[in-house]
Amino acid sequence: MTSISVKARPGASDDTRARTRRRIARAVVGVLLALYGLVSVYPFLWMVSAAFKDQIEVVRGGHLIPRNPTFETLVDTWNELHFFDFFLNSLLVTLYTVVLTLVIYAAAGYAFAVLRFPGRGLLQKLFVSLLFVPGITVMLPIVLLEDRMGILGTHFGLVLPFVNGGAPLSILLMTGAFLAVPLELRDSARVDGASELRIFTSVYLPLARPALITVGLLTAIPTWNEFLLTRVSLNDPSTYTLPLGLQTLSAENVPHYNNLMAGALIVVIPVIILFLSLQRYFVNGLVGAVKG
Amino acid sequence: MTTAPRKTVPGAVGTGGDSHRTPAAAPGTGGTGKPRRPRSYEALTGYLFVGPAVILFCVMGLYTVGYGFALSFATWNGFTPNWTWVGLDNYADLLWRSPVYAPRVRHAALNTLWVMIASPALTVAVSFPLAVLLNRVRRLQSVLRSVYFLPYVTSGVAVFFAWQYILQPDGAINYLLDSVGLGSLSQPQGWLGNPSTAMPTMIAVTVWGHVPVAMLLYLTGLQGIDRSVLEAAELDGAGWWRTNASVIWPLVRPITAIVMLLNLRESLQGFQTFLVMTNGGPGDHTNVLGLEAYRLAFLKNLAPTLGLASALGWILFAAALVLALINLRALRSKT
Repeated sequence: MTSISVKARPGASDDTRARTRRRIARAVVGVLLALYGLVSVYPFLWMVSAAFKDQIEVVRGGHLIPRNPTFETLVDTWNELHFFDFFLNSLLVTLYTVVLTLVIYAAAGYAFAVLRFPGRGLLQKLFVSLLFVPGITVMLPIVLLEDRMGILGTHFGLVLPFVNGGAPLSILLMTGAFLAVPLELRDSARVDGASELRIFTSVYLPLARPALITVGLLTAIPTWNEFLLTRVSLNDPSTYTLPLGLQTLSAENVPHYNNLMAGALIVVIPVIILFLSLQRYFVNGLVGAVKG
Repeated sequence: MTTAPRKTVPGAVGTGGDSHRTPAAAPGTGGTGKPRRPRSYEALTGYLFVGPAVILFCVMGLYTVGYGFALSFATWNGFTPNWTWVGLDNYADLLWRSPVYAPRVRHAALNTLWVMIASPALTVAVSFPLAVLLNRVRRLQSVLRSVYFLPYVTSGVAVFFAWQYILQPDGAINYLLDSVGLGSLSQPQGWLGNPSTAMPTMIAVTVWGHVPVAMLLYLTGLQGIDRSVLEAAELDGAGWWRTNASVIWPLVRPITAIVMLLNLRESLQGFQTFLVMTNGGPGDHTNVLGLEAYRLAFLKNLAPTLGLASALGWILFAAALVLALINLRALRSKT
């Protein structure tokens, strides 16, 4: 085919006019994109700002850059308000949830993608249908059930519903990733006499690393931020996760916004770091899921 | 490879609980030979691999859904040993009969309707142009993409408190308006304290949280568009606006449908932002249906409202299902 990039223009003046117009267009695009970037990060900017202000300065509002920036607010929040404990609890709950999710749904995804067994299609449909059940209708039964099982208020009692809640998306992503692995690999492994478990762990899992990371992130982020079920199931402050600990700060009569924002920063920073360090895989994995 | 001996042991299946009613008998896998291994072995491994997921699903999924559904036909306060069966009474009470609950539900439904109209529309209106613009940029695209995605990553209590902080009477939004000379627009009672600005503000925060995923979906769609289609449009003399409006927009319609569907569902059932930021206030002006269901379920200590809460949840579910079907139908008829 012929190249169609720019139509030949007669005069030089037209050419320069077109060039200026393109330059203006590019500047407008740049400004618009930067503006939305600002909208995106605006709450964070003030969160960071308030976290470095002291009690007096934060109520005066105003300036984004603190006049007397201080680490004391962050240190205070971390030490005196039990944020270290909340942080550990969050870390444990998130870790358990992610590990269980990856183990259970990688295996299920492998079964759905590779193995043939009666009832496969029906099971697959059941899992996807879970996506449409509203959270609020199952929250109450979950609490009542866990109360009866004796795990209400424990971290284990949070992990189970979190893992199950992520089932539809995790299975979808894992099945998609395993379907992309060429069947010849499996067949040759079978000819070599490898067991099904062996094929799964040493052929399929390594090839599905981007999908595993995506599922991990898509599980870790909402788990880290989860609030509703945590709030209705946990009673003992020593079991609180970060979002719940944060809420206790705001529940005081007059919330100290510098401490509240320092706490918010402590909640937010770990997920941001996690996301930024893995975002390359994440976006690709997500894109793959949308296309597939 | 030759054809595999596939039809060897048809009777040996059915190792698991249910019989061998394989739906649509596994399409594909046509030519690939399957060495050795009998099918019963493969089926057994299959069940072992999905086993943990199925067990968890049965307990945490099926059981709780069934339990919640049954509860929606009963009256219970969560403490007495027995339920009182009332049939469809809960649904009738919520929808029209009860003088206490029906007006509250109706009011919350109206608020929810506003969110359901405004949030998906605004999310599409922001994220589609954003994706189109971002798609033109070579340098810094991945940096910007990450920046735009931050609201999703942090979406939760922490960032809602940050919003609450900047929406205060002497918060950063009013400060920003004052400093760019739009001081007349600032809200002396705070954006969430004024009944007439509370709802629009909450919708704006909701949209802010929904744009990241929508933008990413659109960006994926845009990058999947065949270049020759765009070149053909350019050859036909279509300008930038025209190309976007008449070529690209129709091509990404499936993505618009997905974005709308996710957003509608979230607007109908989600309420965490409202719970944390306004708790329905001021004066129930931002009370939404999800929040009302949450209150009925968890904040009425000894009152027997658990059945009502469950029924309201199922009404929300039914509404979401109807919307999903309408959405799918609309999508199908246009493509």
